Parts: sequence; C-alpha cells; structure tokens
Amino acid sequence: MAADQDLARLLRGVAAGDRGALRRVYEAQSARLFGVANAILRDRDAAADALHDAFLRVGQRAAQYDPARGAAAAWLAGVVRHAALDQARRRGRELPSDDPTLGDAAVAPEALERVSADAEGRRLRECLEELEEKNRSGILLAFVHGLSHSQIAARLSLPIGTVKAWIRRGLLRLRDCMT
Amino acid sequence: MTPEERDAMAGEYVLGTLEAAAAREVERSLASDAALREAVAGWEARLAPLTALAPEEAPPPGLWERIEASLPRADVAPSQQRFERWRFDHWRPNPWKWFALGSSAVAAGLAALLLFRPVPEAPLMTVLLTSRDQPAWLVEAERGGALRLAAVNRQPVPPDRVMQLWALPQGATAPTSLGLIAPEAGQYSVSTTAIRPSPGMLIEITLEPPGGSPTGRPTGQILFIGRLSAASGF
Repeated sequence: MAADQDLARLLRGVAAGDRGALRRVYEAQSARLFGVANAILRDRDAAADALHDAFLRVGQRAAQYDPARGAAAAWLAGVVRHAALDQARRRGRELPSDDPTLGDAAVAPEALERVSADAEGRRLRECLEELEEKNRSGILLAFVHGLSHSQIAARLSLPIGTVKAWIRRGLLRLRDCMT
Repeated sequence: MTPEERDAMAGEYVLGTLEAAAAREVERSLASDAALREAVAGWEARLAPLTALAPEEAPPPGLWERIEASLPRADVAPSQQRFERWRFDHWRPNPWKWFALGSSAVAAGLAALLLFRPVPEAPLMTVLLTSRDQPAWLVEAERGGALRLAAVNRQPVPPDRVMQLWALPQGATAPTSLGLIAPEAGQYSVSTTAIRPSPGMLIEITLEPPGGSPTGRPTGQILFIGRLSAASGF
C-alpha cells in the first residue's frame, strides 16, 4: 500500500530525529489513532493523554519499527493501544464498562465489514467467524474496548476462570486457523 | 514455560487482558527473550485489522502542541525542560512559579528530616506549600502504593468549604481526586488504585464546595501544592 510506505518512510525520518516527520505522522493518523484510544478508554481526556504518551513513545522507538514484521499503520496502532491500556490499568480500569452500546458495535456485522478491507483482515474475519460467539465476543471486547478478564466476566455473567480459558482457547484457535 | 504457553501469554498481552503486573513482566522479558518478541510481533500482526473496528474521531485541538512541548529538546537546558513539562492546558499556570521558587528552600529542611529515619525503599516525599511558600503538609508515598499526609502548619478552612486532595501524574492533563480531607484532620492517608505515586507527580489540595468538586476537576483555589521526589535524590 502506497500510503503505508509513506508512513514507513516518515517513521524512518522520526527515527533519524526529524520532528517534522513526527508531526506529519500525527496529521495523517491522529483521527484513526485517537479513535483506537477512545474505544479503549471511553473518555476523551484520557484518550488524549494516551495519544500524548503514545507519540512520545513513537518519537523514542521509531527505530524499532521493522517493515518486515508488518504495516507501519499497524505498528502505530499497537503503540497507541498499549499506551491506552497502560492508562486504563493506571485508572484501575475504573472506566464505564456497563454502557449498553459497548461491544454491540464491535460485533455488529457492518463493523466486521471494516475489518476485511485487505487480505489479512479478510483472513482474520473468516477465522473469527469460525469461533464460537462467546469466544469471539470476549476477544473483540478485550481488543477494541480494553476490557479486562473480570470486566468481560461481569459483562457476560460468567465466572472469571471460564472467561480466561475461553479467551485463551479462542486466541489459539484463531492462530491455528490463520496459519 | 512451553512454547504454547508463551504464545498464549503473548496473545493475551497483545489483546490487553493481562493485569498490570503481568503486562509489565512481559514488557521486561521482551528485551532479552527473542522468542517472546517474535510471538508478540506475530499477535500484533494477526490482530491488527481489528483496530478498524474503532470509529475514527478527531482528537481535541491543541493535542499536537502538547505532544511537541513534551518532546525532548536538544537546545534547551535540562532544568528548563523539566519546568516546561509541568505546564499543561487546563491547570492554572501561576502556582508553578512560586512552587518552583519555594521547593528548593524546603528541600534543606526535608533532607534534615530524612537523616533521622531509615530509607529502605526510597519513598517518595514532598512538602505541600502555601501560596506564600509556607510548608503546610508533609507527604510521603510508597511507589505505587499509599499516600500519607501530615499537617505541619494547620490552616483554618472556611466553614462552607472542604479540602480536596488531587494528584497529577507527569504528562497527564487532568488531575485525579484522592478524596476529601476533614477540616480538623492533622493526618490523612489514602491508598488508591486510581493513581500510582511516582517521581514528578504533582500533589495539591484545593478548596471545594461541600462534598467535593462537582466537576471531577479542581474548581477552587489551590491551597497547597508540591511535587513528589525520590527521597534518596536529596
């Protein structure tokens, strides 16, 4: 993808200390990345803090991005997700998780359509659809909304041990399906 | 750990379900464990398309400027950098000035205090100062644990107001409430999972309406303020 190659080039610039390159990464990606952080934190101030931390990490770690391991956009999203998860953990994940709309968006068919924009996404989607509903919901709630095992357990009214085992089993099935 | 267990843990790390301690353990191991690094990279790549499930949303205006202000600068003296990192958008900037002036004066007194007590794990400490640089509260915090305050110079609080304690981690824009301090209290201790005391964290007490700030952010006058430092650093 041409856009991702541009992004990879910008990350090389960031690694070389070019602050203008970091700004261009921000301009090109901030709406997408802020959406990723806000889906996890569901609090715009907290999401802004997470994006702030994430861009400082991008500035420090851009040299660690290896195009052979995946797309630059995916690497950036990973940095943002972990910064948002750190925020969520610092707040004891005391974030609203009983929002009735939460999770529905993640499992709605039209939302899954967006995942299959490219070949990897289509493959992931096919494999997700082969999972049992409970395994799939657990994985989506955790990845998209940053819910912990205990929050997913509360949401699905299941014991926490069961949820842990299901998610683990779901992940390993997903891996085997995608290999 | 079997390769299967390692891969499952890497998957859970990427998924985000690991608790804070387990996630930190994975992060620590990443530097030295190539197989774990490989497993994490595999999961990042496998699950990356799911980020498309989050709807795009414009970040608040001014966020880039905030990021830029936090970036390390080669052309600015370190002390000035540190001062600039204290600035943040929605907090009144003035108290920092007098806090910066007052803190060095108090450091000498704090150092004397520390000589008389063992320091097993280098606790974090600060002295909260009044707007006239008078020491008002001694604060001691365990890293990631409880925060204890002792009044050294009790001040009257208006009868229709309460004191509310706040913490602002470095880099954060919004402080977190640590509860209300009773007007007559000479001591206060709080153990919270909402924040992890860390060096550089600002601690302040504001004057708020009964029941505490209605907005979740400080609304009243800042009575006392200080910044946590590792006691061993004095």
